[in-house]
Amino acid sequence: MTDTILDKEQKLVQLLEQTFKKLSGKVVRQRRVTVSVEKELVPSVLSYAKSQLGYIHLSHISCVDWPENNNFEIIYILWSPADKVQLFIKTLINRENPEIDNVDMIWKHANTYEREIREMYGIQFNGLVGAQEFILEDWDDMPPMRRDFDTVDYVDNNYTFRPGREDAGDVREEIIKRSGEDIPDFAKKYSRD
Amino acid sequence: MINDKNSKKIVDIIQDFSRRHSLFVLAYGTGCGAIEIPPTMTSRYDAERFGIRGMATPRQADLLLITGYLASKTLKRVIRAYEQMQDPKYVIGFGSCTINGGMYWDSYNTIKILSDYIPVDVYINGCMPRPEAVITGFIELQNLIKEGKANGAQKYKENLEWYRENQRKVIKDWKMPDYNW
Ligand code: SF4
Repeated sequence: MTDTILDKEQKLVQLLEQTFKKLSGKVVRQRRVTVSVEKELVPSVLSYAKSQLGYIHLSHISCVDWPENNNFEIIYILWSPADKVQLFIKTLINRENPEIDNVDMIWKHANTYEREIREMYGIQFNGLVGAQEFILEDWDDMPPMRRDFDTVDYVDNNYTFRPGREDAGDVREEIIKRSGEDIPDFAKKYSRD
Repeated sequence: MINDKNSKKIVDIIQDFSRRHSLFVLAYGTGCGAIEIPPTMTSRYDAERFGIRGMATPRQADLLLITGYLASKTLKRVIRAYEQMQDPKYVIGFGSCTINGGMYWDSYNTIKILSDYIPVDVYINGCMPRPEAVITGFIELQNLIKEGKANGAQKYKENLEWYRENQRKVIKDWKMPDYNW
């Protein structure tokens, strides 16, 4: 039964794996397929998917930071209006010298996503045109969406607070102290610790 | 006698009366709290019965309503809008984000205390404040004007150095025009 349901998804993975040798695909569930490729292959996989397989819509380019593995993962999310399948194309790039080819000749609007990723993660897209500054203004720290960027530390160094935040403890404990009420059992499981 | 102390006071009273009953609001609605402005202004809560209505440009407005968090980027625009406004001008900080960072207290790109950067006459707390609270805030401002205490613009002129210093901490690449007010 499941075979027939996931038919088109499995066909898609087979087709991609036959066309590109260094590609591994997986059916996540109905209407969702992920494939992992080397970063050099990304433009060709994308243009193949667009021109031959009907994945004409680029929904988003997303980025995940994996400091544990010293990697950035870039994810291209494609959509086929005919198949109604979402295709996730994932690639890993090194965190030390992060660069990847830009793909805005395949989809023009990729430019916007790439500029955002360039600014927020500090990844270089080879051949990407467009002002360096996109969303942030006069930013001189490390790219803020990297996971080793410490926002609390940054805030402490750059902003001041009105007094009164330091003792921001668990609100429930404060309520008990002031009113003498006990917390109902259902609320305890939301307690901070 | 026009220069007599008493007659001046009467002029002031009339001026303040008209000021507080025709507050034209420039709503700077980049924060999520801005969603409470439409109900405040429209028929259900009808802020216009207090003489409060929206205005299109800073030069025509009396009141700058900052609804919520300001990013360091939008702060720039707020300062420019504020400096273009004509005297008398007032500022209302709306929502806990303007008071002490609110739920964005650990965000790298929102300012925490609005009154460090521009003078705030009235704060309305809440995340987000209901229209009743907003109208209470407006009435509070009207009372301050009546008592002659809503002098944020005066404070700004006198302490411009201090405000500029704070502003420059956030706006590192200072390319702001000088308005001669
Ligand atoms: S105070 Fe609350 S409602 Fe207002 S801008 Fe901040 S988070 Fe949004």
